[in-house]
Amino acid sequence: MRYLLLSALLLSASPAMAHKIIADLFPAGDAVEGEIGFSSGDMAVDARVEIYDISGNKLGETRTDEDGFFAWTPEGTLPAGPLKFISDLGAGHVAEMVLPAEDVPGGSLPATPGAVELNLDTTSAAPVNADALADVVAAAVRNELRPIRRELVQIRERNRFSTILGGIGLIFGLFGAFFYFSARRQLKDAEK
Amino acid sequence: MHIVDGALATPVLIAGAAATAGGLAIGLRQLTTERIPTAGVLSAGFFVASLIHVPIGISSVHLIMNGIAGLILGWAAFPALFVGLLLQAVTFGFGGITVLGVNAVNIALPAVLAGVICRSFIRKGGRNNVLIWGSICGALAIALTTIMVSVSLALSGEEFNEAAYLVFVSHIPVMVIEGALTAAAAWLIMQVKPELFGLSQMKDV
Repeated sequence: MRYLLLSALLLSASPAMAHKIIADLFPAGDAVEGEIGFSSGDMAVDARVEIYDISGNKLGETRTDEDGFFAWTPEGTLPAGPLKFISDLGAGHVAEMVLPAEDVPGGSLPATPGAVELNLDTTSAAPVNADALADVVAAAVRNELRPIRRELVQIRERNRFSTILGGIGLIFGLFGAFFYFSARRQLKDAEK
Repeated sequence: MHIVDGALATPVLIAGAAATAGGLAIGLRQLTTERIPTAGVLSAGFFVASLIHVPIGISSVHLIMNGIAGLILGWAAFPALFVGLLLQAVTFGFGGITVLGVNAVNIALPAVLAGVICRSFIRKGGRNNVLIWGSICGALAIALTTIMVSVSLALSGEEFNEAAYLVFVSHIPVMVIEGALTAAAAWLIMQVKPELFGLSQMKDV
């Protein structure tokens, strides 16, 4: 019950909203990359990230860099099922991310169609190790996508602002409509 | 200050909804045509104020601005604050739909009480008088709201003292800020548009 009160308090005072945590996970080949930051734009620097499996066993941990980024490469075989990434940022801020089972590295991930096509092209041109090339392409694509991912997160946050404006507009519209009906009734009464 | 869904016992929710229905009925009757635009502006102000967070130490609280609404609108603050709360619940998940009644009473009733008490003093005019009663109004509305929140939690099985202490203490800075804001607003209204308080006088019960 005390936890209930605490959560009610926290939510009522909304510290979580004040420094909303933005955390994202991206599967990146053999590794899992992620990003942790606050809605204020600050990133979580040098925060410990712990990785757990579905039944709560700790699998490993890593730390974020100065940009709030972290990467974790699992050692050995991973248990089936989703992984949970938890980072306690202090002051009641806990980032919790879940990596769906199909994104867990080392699983039976089929090669991406793009990589397969590239392999076919290279066979005629030069004797390049197809596996190595696929890794390079995958890494390049990841690097190219990183800013886009970051932008997506920012846009998601920016929507909040338009929601605020929308809410204000809704309130004005509501009271405006009320005003209209009220004024019309008053005019009718005045006519009588 | 918004209690979330699932934190309260059902009887408390029902009582809150009933009280809000009553408050809305009284408020709508007092919401005369002339006062509707004012109510709209204050409702929008309340809606936005709750999104402004004041960092305090490691935590933060947000403004509520119910005192100024009660001061200007009297009972008509009820529908104004209710609409703001409804939209906060729908758009941002502040509070919730089932607890809307309790939250509306917790925020609007203190607004009405603080407003009615302080307005009669503010109307007398005088710079210091207006500033003092304005700040009392702003702070009192928050204080009463914290007490009502604590009572809601207590009726749902919390220890009253503990709940009240936590909620009250964490909102002392809000009381200070809102007291100052309400005093400034009351002073400005007295200077620029005293009929906002004068009009209320005629429509008062």
